[in-house]
Amino acid sequence: MSCSMAGEEDFVLEEKRFKQYCEEFIKRSQQIGDGWEWRTSKDLGDGYLSKTHYQVRNRKIPPDLKEKNHDNCEQMLCTHVEESLDDSQAAGVCATEVIHYEYHVLYSSSYRVPVLYFRACFLDGRPLTLDEIWKSVHACYQACLLEGPWDTITQQEHPILGQPFFVLHPCRTNEFISSVLSSSRKHDRHINYITLWLSTVGPVVGLNLPMSYAKLAPEQDTNDDSVERQRVEPHEAGRSAQAPSSAFGLGHLNTADLGVHKF
Amino acid sequence: MTDDKDVLRDVWFGRIPTCFTLYQDEVTEREAEPYYLLLPRISYLTLVTDKVKKHFQKVMRQEEVSEIWFEYEGTPLKWHYPIGLLFDLHASNTALPWSITVHFKNFPEKDLLHCHSKDVIEAHFMACIKEADALKHKSQVINEMQKKDHKQLWMGLQNDKFEQFWAINRKLMEYPPEDSGFRYIPFRIYQATTERPFIQKLFRPIASGGELHTLGDLLKDVCPSAITPEDGEQKTQVMIHGIEPMLETPIQWLSEHMSYPDNFLHISIIPRPTD
Repeated sequence: MSCSMAGEEDFVLEEKRFKQYCEEFIKRSQQIGDGWEWRTSKDLGDGYLSKTHYQVRNRKIPPDLKEKNHDNCEQMLCTHVEESLDDSQAAGVCATEVIHYEYHVLYSSSYRVPVLYFRACFLDGRPLTLDEIWKSVHACYQACLLEGPWDTITQQEHPILGQPFFVLHPCRTNEFISSVLSSSRKHDRHINYITLWLSTVGPVVGLNLPMSYAKLAPEQDTNDDSVERQRVEPHEAGRSAQAPSSAFGLGHLNTADLGVHKF
Repeated sequence: MTDDKDVLRDVWFGRIPTCFTLYQDEVTEREAEPYYLLLPRISYLTLVTDKVKKHFQKVMRQEEVSEIWFEYEGTPLKWHYPIGLLFDLHASNTALPWSITVHFKNFPEKDLLHCHSKDVIEAHFMACIKEADALKHKSQVINEMQKKDHKQLWMGLQNDKFEQFWAINRKLMEYPPEDSGFRYIPFRIYQATTERPFIQKLFRPIASGGELHTLGDLLKDVCPSAITPEDGEQKTQVMIHGIEPMLETPIQWLSEHMSYPDNFLHISIIPRPTD
């Protein structure tokens, strides 16, 4: 796998600029109650974006296998098991799992891009394995991830906390970000780099940005107060068969242009 | 006067005599003898301990064996750190052999990365090399190489083949004739006492006036507490590959000659022994 960072002079995200985008992003997150916050490290003063959320999954356990070991079945802690009410499915049980996800956005000074770190565990503290995470990835992204999982999500040490996290490989970030950003600047539209990037890579690992992050900024004005917000209905991105729309403020651009990326 | 190339060999062939002991709570069918091994400083624990694993598995039942992990005096050892770094950081001022405890149960999920196959080690190793080249050459050199060259770097490390490795690695140590060095130096500074696993920042080997930055300059910029003496006494040691290089050493030279095979300078700041 090659990292194509060389080539034409792409937009380069400096660390200071990264922090500014994060500040702006957090402000917006607070406005819409999306739960992102900034964490500063005590020793060096650098920091990262952080968000926690819970995912509830219903998992059907085949009747004849619910007693035996089935893949990771014996390790799945089901917080609540109910009998199915449907007679035709009476033989099976439905287990509800609650998974705790943590997402961190850090800045990579080596690649000059933001990097998404995440980890997930069941309520009993047992962490999800890489396999379990892959299986939980939205179906439309699984195809591209299956081509080369080692190039896309790997387990790495968190550079500030020193604990194992999963990481979405940052190598290809600059390619698609640059093309969108240069196009937006031609139209004098302000794009928050973090919103753009996170709305594109996040869904790959179960992190969706509400459409409320999108707003129509008037030409050359980035002041929140004077922005006319385009109100969009919250969009259930996770369950549809199509690729979820990215929540950034370029009406003419849709995800078909960006494609589903092999990162 | 030693040739600079001799330094490359000395770094590559550095070894640490190690004694592996099975954790006392592991369930065995008979007594487990300790296993002695010379560990290559430049390699990774899970890459060079197949014999250790086999030795202890002989006295255990299959169902008692899950992923192997190593610990030193209660601290789980991160297999993704080079062995020499782990030793310098945790045990350099203790008596040899290095005593490592072997575990097959209760993998510490919060501390250690999993390592289910050699592919994981290879992926990690190559990711480090790519990141190092992103810093040194904006990834131009690593990207120009073919897949087989990348493979040769890994095979050279895995099979302990100095010539095979350096046939390719020397290209990663070159720089354009108009420059005096790399764009930025790939380095990480480790201190066992901090929660942060390491410090890594952008640092240029050449000052604006053309002078070569030194190891001392790097530390002053990135980790000043390491070299500022408290009470006029130097409380810490700055260690790379088991030695304390002079602070006046140009960082460009250190990067070319004392990096690990992953092309990073892994630097330990450790307490100076009081005797």
